[in-house]
Amino acid sequence: MYNIKVRGVLIEGNKGYHDITQDVTNPLLSKTTPKWWWIASFVTTSMLIWGIWGFYNTIAVGTGTWGLNNSVSWGFAIINFVWWIGIGHAGTAFSIFLLVLHQRWRTSINRAAEAMTIFAVMAAGMFPMIHMGRIWDGFFVFPYPNTRGPLWDNFNSPLFWDVTAISTYLTASFLFWYVGMIPDFASIRERTVSIVKKKIYGILSLGWLGSARGWLRFESAALLMGGLTAPLVVSVHSIVAMDFAAGIVPGWHSTIFPPFFVVGAIFSGFAMVLTLMIIVRKVYKYEEYVTQRHLDAIARVLTFVSLIMGVAYISEIFVAWYSNSPYEMYVFFKNRAIGDYEFEFWAMITCNAIIPQLFWFKKIRKNITMVFIISIFINIGMWFERFVIVVTSLSKTWLPSTWHSYTPTLTEVAIFVGTLGFFIMGILMFLRFLPMMAISELKGVLKETSIVKENTKSHEE
Amino acid sequence: MKNKSQILGVFNDPDVVSTAVDELLRNNIPIKDVFSPFPLEHVWKKLNMKTRIPYATFLYGVLGTVATFAFLYWSSVINYPLIFGGKPTDSLSFVIIMFVLAILSGVIFTLATYLIREKLWPGKVVNLPDPRSTDDKFVIVIEKDMDMDEATVRQIDELLKKSGATEVNMSNV
Repeated sequence: MYNIKVRGVLIEGNKGYHDITQDVTNPLLSKTTPKWWWIASFVTTSMLIWGIWGFYNTIAVGTGTWGLNNSVSWGFAIINFVWWIGIGHAGTAFSIFLLVLHQRWRTSINRAAEAMTIFAVMAAGMFPMIHMGRIWDGFFVFPYPNTRGPLWDNFNSPLFWDVTAISTYLTASFLFWYVGMIPDFASIRERTVSIVKKKIYGILSLGWLGSARGWLRFESAALLMGGLTAPLVVSVHSIVAMDFAAGIVPGWHSTIFPPFFVVGAIFSGFAMVLTLMIIVRKVYKYEEYVTQRHLDAIARVLTFVSLIMGVAYISEIFVAWYSNSPYEMYVFFKNRAIGDYEFEFWAMITCNAIIPQLFWFKKIRKNITMVFIISIFINIGMWFERFVIVVTSLSKTWLPSTWHSYTPTLTEVAIFVGTLGFFIMGILMFLRFLPMMAISELKGVLKETSIVKENTKSHEE
Repeated sequence: MKNKSQILGVFNDPDVVSTAVDELLRNNIPIKDVFSPFPLEHVWKKLNMKTRIPYATFLYGVLGTVATFAFLYWSSVINYPLIFGGKPTDSLSFVIIMFVLAILSGVIFTLATYLIREKLWPGKVVNLPDPRSTDDKFVIVIEKDMDMDEATVRQIDELLKKSGATEVNMSNV
């Protein structure tokens, strides 16, 4: 893919191939771990420990420690599960969609986005497991020969599709991520002077050579794995959406759900990538790799996706009214737009559909602080979206005698905070020990990007 | 292979490598390999290299789909035909699991094929002819036979230098 044209300068500064190797591998080869890393990992470990307490409490006592009741039988666990899965779409959306579309600006971001995917999907996976209440029976969800009939899984259930889709997604994303790192591990293996690191990265590099045939097969295998994984982005979140849409609960039973969820997932994934990359480029001084141009491109994608989100919200409300179903209308007009959960509803609309529209202004896209703040707003807004979908629909259904409101308990909050800690811890480990940018891919775009630079220079002269 | 030595042409620039490959091919000098820090598509084409991995992947996808369907049909229609919700036991919604598992089998077996064909495994010890080829150098490897005389070696040496090699080295790896 060496001969594909790039748009604009992707790597700033007068970098050579050697500079790229050094810039990316220096942080992970350095003997000293920066102080901020220790502080951050102390904080995240504390979060994780609190989360483990929440886990323990749930398993030892039962799901009675959660704020669930007969009406709202899905609470924080499902909200956070869907939220994490959404964030987990960043890596694949980023690296694979843009790989298939030959968008070369992905090169300095894709590795970190893929790492996010892995940790976010793992964080998401904890919720269905713990939601079972009896986690030691968790293997029941897999189809295996058993003495209960043999009773197989219900292969028509979205919940089983979820099990299949998410475990496939995690496996495929992880393998794709790892394969991409093989040549970079070889670079580290040849560069390091430490015997231990040479050994470890040598094992990880699987004996990579970088010969012409090796690269040919590598490119072919990576593109195929990427191309195969790309449809999973659509299928995973469609299936998660069908967990809701296949039920007949008002506010859930709608055909817009699968595309709406997929778009939402890409929205939150891109926002999380933006949040993370702004921090990483600042801390590691990678402004020359993750340029203004990169952030601008992500912001533009977010503006567009935000519009789709806005249209989806409006069409949901319109269809609720147009359907003339009193239950649908009740959910949207009495329990979302106004009522007990109006704050959450309007927070969702504001954060997802209105605030990102600020990205229309070039001044705001150029202001990194503003971009960072907006990306945080999107993350929060997407969390509220899941809250609104899950809680408002369940809390007030057909029979007023069954109405019940929902507030999360400390245990549920602890588990959520714990998964946040797990996610950030994973990212910190990734930043410390793995090549956080695809070294070989950056080198692949360096030549074109310098040609672009020369052309712009001669054009300006 | 150990007692054969190799001539290494070390380059700094991918485009120079590709012209050097042309030059060597024109002079009928067999190129054993080209080591580079990133993929060089031009070079594959010039050396006429092809891979059949895509065909293998297609096969894995088909096999994955068929195997999944066979399992779903066997378990829900033959082995334990349990009817729930009044729906038929051989349901159209098998498609979803078939789709997902076709992808899974495609990904896993493509990777396995790649690793086997490329003979990569954890802990494999390799010696690169020039370790800098994982950093910033591009290395053209030409095998030097025992019966190759001094004049030919010198000719190759000159040819490499003329086409832009910054160094020409010998290696026993």
